[in-house]
Amino acid sequence: MTEEIILQVQDLKTYFHTDEGIVKAVDGVTFDLHKGETLGIVGESGSGKSVTNLSIINMIPNPPGKIAGGQVMYAGKDLVKLTINELRSIRGNKISMIFQDPMTSLNPYLRISTQMIETIVLHQKLDKKTAKAKAIDMLKLAGIPAPEKRIDQYPHQFSGGMRQRVMIAMGLSCNPEILIADEPTSALDVTIQAQILDLIKDLTARLGTAVILITHSLGVVAGMCDTICVMYAGRIVERGPTTEIFDKPKHPYTQGLIKSVPRLDKTSGDRLYSIRGQPPNVIDLPDCCPFYPRCDKAMDVCKRKYPLSKDVGNGHAVSCWLYTEAK
Amino acid sequence: MATNAVNEFNQQVKPVSLWADAWKRLRKNRMSLFGLWVVGIYFLVALAAPILPLYDYTEQNLNHVNLPPSLKPAGVVAVAQEQKAIDQITDLVKNQGRADLQPNLDQKIAEMAQLQASLAADPTSNNVYIFGTDYLGRDMLSRVIYGGRISMMIGLVGTITAVLVGIIIGAIAGYAGGRLDNFLMRFVDIMYGLPYMLIVIILMSMVPQGTNSTVVLFVAIALVSWLTIARVVRGQIISLKNSEFVEAARSMGAGTGRIIFRHLLPNTLGVIIIFSTLQMPSFIMNESFLSFLGLGVSAPAASWGTLVSEGVQGMELYPWRLLVPAIAMTLFLFAMNFLGDGLRDALDPQSKNRA
Amino acid sequence: MMKFIIRRLLSLIPTMFIIITLSFFLIHIAPGGPFSGEKKLPPHVLANILKKYHMDEPLGAQYLRYLNDVILHFDLGPSYRYEDQSVNGLISATMPRSIFLGFVSLLLSVALGGAAGIISALRQNKWQDYLSMSVAVIGISVPLFVIGPVIQLIFAMQLHWLPVTGWINSRAGWVTLIMPAVTLAFPYFAYIARLSRGSVLEVLRSDYIRTARAKGLKESVVIGKHVLKGAMLPVVSYLGPAFAGIITGSIVVETVFQIPGVGRIFVQSALNRDYTLIMGDIITYSAVLVFANFLVDVIYGFLDPRIAYK
Repeated sequence: MTEEIILQVQDLKTYFHTDEGIVKAVDGVTFDLHKGETLGIVGESGSGKSVTNLSIINMIPNPPGKIAGGQVMYAGKDLVKLTINELRSIRGNKISMIFQDPMTSLNPYLRISTQMIETIVLHQKLDKKTAKAKAIDMLKLAGIPAPEKRIDQYPHQFSGGMRQRVMIAMGLSCNPEILIADEPTSALDVTIQAQILDLIKDLTARLGTAVILITHSLGVVAGMCDTICVMYAGRIVERGPTTEIFDKPKHPYTQGLIKSVPRLDKTSGDRLYSIRGQPPNVIDLPDCCPFYPRCDKAMDVCKRKYPLSKDVGNGHAVSCWLYTEAK
Repeated sequence: MATNAVNEFNQQVKPVSLWADAWKRLRKNRMSLFGLWVVGIYFLVALAAPILPLYDYTEQNLNHVNLPPSLKPAGVVAVAQEQKAIDQITDLVKNQGRADLQPNLDQKIAEMAQLQASLAADPTSNNVYIFGTDYLGRDMLSRVIYGGRISMMIGLVGTITAVLVGIIIGAIAGYAGGRLDNFLMRFVDIMYGLPYMLIVIILMSMVPQGTNSTVVLFVAIALVSWLTIARVVRGQIISLKNSEFVEAARSMGAGTGRIIFRHLLPNTLGVIIIFSTLQMPSFIMNESFLSFLGLGVSAPAASWGTLVSEGVQGMELYPWRLLVPAIAMTLFLFAMNFLGDGLRDALDPQSKNRA
Repeated sequence: MMKFIIRRLLSLIPTMFIIITLSFFLIHIAPGGPFSGEKKLPPHVLANILKKYHMDEPLGAQYLRYLNDVILHFDLGPSYRYEDQSVNGLISATMPRSIFLGFVSLLLSVALGGAAGIISALRQNKWQDYLSMSVAVIGISVPLFVIGPVIQLIFAMQLHWLPVTGWINSRAGWVTLIMPAVTLAFPYFAYIARLSRGSVLEVLRSDYIRTARAKGLKESVVIGKHVLKGAMLPVVSYLGPAFAGIITGSIVVETVFQIPGVGRIFVQSALNRDYTLIMGDIITYSAVLVFANFLVDVIYGFLDPRIAYK
């Protein structure tokens, strides 16, 4: 990890226009990604993690979704404003994505070779034969046994873990600068999860790829990430280096999350902590801290206004009235 | 919970039942609302037909044969019609040298005199046929309404029978599983392989002449049309059978019958309703198809198909005889299809078979 | 794949056997025979006729004889009504026309319906979508025997563009094919258009299309290479029912346009209670249908790699 910032997300807002009202799935998200860094985005389902990342490469289905504001700076360009052709030369090439469910993310009707080669040919301008050799190399790197043989098979002949390896191989086949991994292990068996995470960690470290890892599991980010962003109801409520977040969590939500992880070193008969209540419905949410109904430390001001992000040192920032003076 | 419950964020958290939710969605869909209205009106008219001021649909009036739709009294229309024919023939005889047509002309003039004579004496000449008359001088409006009664009745009875048989067989196969399921579904597969209208045609051909074929038709259509419902219900039951709420019911000691009737069937109700609404127009089409071929309901009863079939004879000269029943039937089928589509979208928003 | 085809082919045998058996007994439990109709025949004449057609034998013997004739000799027996004509002769004289008409209609409905459905899905909620879906609703709601006479009325009787009735072998020639084929294809065009629209939309929402887009592929490649194959599978599996429907529909179309096909023979035989001919028709129809379903399954197996390996 270096100090060079390669991706800068600034006040990103993505709204969905539905019959019930405007869903502010992402509402003012800001973060930086450094070269070679692994950044974790943690949050409950529906907190806007996936939408944030689809917004980065502008893949929000429109309608109903729309990027309503903010910018995503990459290589001196604002990705939000690029034409579709300019975006295409970045997607899969400089920024690639792997998704949650490897069972459905590969086209079941096409051979693995077809699906891998088309990306390589498209972005690296190689001929098919060289591209196939490259694809086989990538599969080997991703730990697929006998890749020369398996590359000509169809996805249904692979297990879930193997398919995710194929996805990773495909995602890294054009040496992207950024790999966005959207819950890459949630759909897999626990034993496979660790293998896949190790693979991502190992390969991206070797290739110098920066990673944005989206997950709802604190355990995953703890082992993988340099930096962590905690999302709640479309906003990043706290962000900072992994050690900071785990040792000195500031936001009551982060504190709650960490407390609710089961721990082996605390064996007493205590009940496992859980945050009470439900995450809010993000349709027409008023300007308040969306966490206040579930928060033990809620104050009057929390109901009226959303707190600005406050830097508390060591690259650690939090949006909570506990740390910000109300005006 | 109160009807206007509001949570901490001032958001409405009114709980909505599946049906209220579906009704809300249906109301938003203009085409299906239109369908609902049309279907409602059709059923109302069909039910009320005996008390409506209609001419008897079996009453023949040879003075009023093949009259076009008109708001004028039948006598006037008939005379105008006759006059037109006379003018045409006169023109042929006088201006185009067709002296051989003179006898026809004489006959027409004699008919005209007779017609005019009956005008004053015959009270039926004041009848108004807004949809015209057929080749026996019967009122098309009344024929179409009574034809609709038969068609809709067949659609309704057929659907109900098919749904009942389908539910029973599908539920048994789905719930029992194993050999019984295998056997039943093999049977359904084979029946599926047969073009089912052909079987109905055979059944209709086996009816002894002179019996009331309408009843046989009900049975014939219903007997071979439970297949789809059975398959759908079976599929639903199998997927629901392993769901948690059924496990829960079973773990609390609910019996098989109770599980099927209290838990599984209500959950398949949406699908059954959708299927029924889409099935009814197809029954009506099938019955009309048979009537069109002369294998449907027997005279004097007439369904829409019979009327269309009669209308096809001579449609070049008397197009209304084809168009009136055709439009009446088509409008109803349209409405049923719109309603069915709307219901599917409303009751089963995630439906995969949106064809 | 070969194993799959052979297994599927073998499964046709019991199906056909059941169809033959079912239709035989269905027909023979019917009250009244072909000769108990309008006028009473003298007893000895009736006895002679029954003997000639082996109808004096026990039902079991008749069944075995029939099975033997049909399966080993492909002989469907004599027609009861058309004297001195065999069922084989009647069917083979008329079947090719019906098959040809049905095939042309099926092609039309698949090609046009598929195209309309794909365009509708890609231009969802634009005028192309509304136009094709409106036409499709008409196709689904209006019965064949209304469409047929109405277009006859318009294009033949009013506009005089096309001959009212007739078949390719008549003087008018190939143009006689237009109205019957369009009429017969219309409902299936409509179904296929709606089906393919729905399935293209569904595939467009699928995860693997998101992957394809995230790879930076051009939209034309995404559609042409990734969407269409998966989206056309439901259409392929609908071909079986569509073919069955076209067979049934051809009965009406042949009646309306007076085409001497097997459909008219079938209706005639039903009206005449010509039982051997009815059975022959049913067996032939079923054979065609069962074989068509087999072909559909094989095509499906080729398109979907997951099938053949099961």
